Amino acid sequence: MGPGSEQGSEGRSDAADVAIRRAASRPFLLRTEGIAAGYGDEAAFEEVSLEVFGREVVSLIGPNGAGKTTLLRCLAGILPLRQGRVEKAFGLRMSYLPQRLSFDRLLPVTVAEFLSLRLGRPFFRPGWAKQERVESLEELGVTSLLDRRLGELSGGERQRVFLAAALAKRPQLLLLDEPATGVDLLGAAAFDALLHRLRDRDGLGILLVSHDLHLVHHISDWVYFLNRRILASGPPKEVMREDQLAAAYQRFPHPG
Amino acid sequence: MDFLSYDFLRRALSAAALAGPVCGFLGVFLTARGMAFFSDALAHTAITGVALGLLAEGAVEFWFGFALPPGLPSGLLILWCLGAAWLMASLFESARWRPDTVMAFCFTGSVAFGVLVLGKLGRYGFLEETLFGDINANSWGDVAVLGAVTMSAVIVLGRRLREFLLILLDEDLALADGIPVRRLNRILVLLVAAVVAIALKLLGALLVSALLVVPAAAARLVAPNLRLLLVFAGIGGFLGSVGGVILSFYLDLPTGPTIVLTQLALLLIALGLQPLLGHRRRSQSRGSAEATTSQSIWPSSESR
Repeated sequence: MGPGSEQGSEGRSDAADVAIRRAASRPFLLRTEGIAAGYGDEAAFEEVSLEVFGREVVSLIGPNGAGKTTLLRCLAGILPLRQGRVEKAFGLRMSYLPQRLSFDRLLPVTVAEFLSLRLGRPFFRPGWAKQERVESLEELGVTSLLDRRLGELSGGERQRVFLAAALAKRPQLLLLDEPATGVDLLGAAAFDALLHRLRDRDGLGILLVSHDLHLVHHISDWVYFLNRRILASGPPKEVMREDQLAAAYQRFPHPG
Repeated sequence: MDFLSYDFLRRALSAAALAGPVCGFLGVFLTARGMAFFSDALAHTAITGVALGLLAEGAVEFWFGFALPPGLPSGLLILWCLGAAWLMASLFESARWRPDTVMAFCFTGSVAFGVLVLGKLGRYGFLEETLFGDINANSWGDVAVLGAVTMSAVIVLGRRLREFLLILLDEDLALADGIPVRRLNRILVLLVAAVVAIALKLLGALLVSALLVVPAAAARLVAPNLRLLLVFAGIGGFLGSVGGVILSFYLDLPTGPTIVLTQLALLLIALGLQPLLGHRRRSQSRGSAEATTSQSIWPSSESR
């Protein structure tokens, strides 16, 4: 199933054009062909084909239980595929930011230690994080948090630390799972600006899972609507028309 | 230092000095991952291992007329514990039962079987030593085996410390970083098994898990960061077990219980020290209270 294949019939040729223009003259960072995965006997999603290019923000939207997070975990290499294949650009550097970490909140691990572990720096001498000026740490205001414990940070501060760690690995593709759920990440506006800066300045491809349709609408270059399968894809102003979303959510009411 | 003139005490002290720090260190991983009961269950399954060791010793002596070299029965015990740990870990993954169910039937089964074998061998009196430990139990051969296990545990943990710690923080992130999480989890389980097996003779099956759990729990109270948590847990394990052996000698107390109570005394000291380090905690923000309560079913101290 190619991008835009489930658009309304009158919009088909337009959508196809847009898809061709999107792919023109640049190689993909990541492409999946008919992948499926799940937990236990049940498939969380199936027949998913999508592409992410460099220098674009791609969003994955859909109701609860649509398989968005599972799909992202699959692309990050956490969950094995059942079917299909994933092609990656040669030597692709990918960073994944989970919705939340499952770590023991009472474990006394400091931000500097966390960064040392994530970035493969000397764990017993975490002073490097203060001496070196790491761009992503400064950009996200993490340098003032280095001696604090992860467990005592606020939700927003913690999210910023995780994002800074993900970015410090200098990824070409960033996988973000619900980066702005109810946290004071940076303030919504600053978050938009950050993502666009990463896209335009650093040429990152960003694949974003989000419930926040408003955010997705003005942040994304391309949107996939997922409900166990890809039901629609295209630029946000086409996929995210109210009538289409309503129809899609109605046709596939979320399970449970 | 007159106690060093006794050979049995030198053996016990060497065993304590070797097993204590490694147990404390491993305990950090165990407690952070909710595996404290696992070490306890494993220690109980070891009773069968002890019984089988005695059986092998008796059988060899009866059929072939020579005694097994010292240290071989504890080698057998280690193998048994490794096997039991591997089996339990596999059953956890098969997801047919919940982990605590698996542990419950594995350890009750092993205790039952072990006691049966001991009874048949006419070595029922050996049970007390197996359950509560004995200062005299470790031969120099055992201490050598203990040293070898300790060394390999230190090497494995030291080489892959970063990976183990990343898994401790979040398995998903570790997987996304390409760390072989499943394999390292298995290695951790096997390390715990080996360490439980070697510390068993000194502390006994009922008490050995305290050596893993208590130093890490105490270190958590006072350690400002993860590096010092690891260091403190190791030091606590050393002090508690060596101190416990010395105390049990001077006060003529059973060794295993004395070590455990010494460890617990260290825990209480850490608890007393905690308010003195309170300045570290004052900077806690609202976020922490919410995060703590979500982890635990008990109300946290902040919300009370």
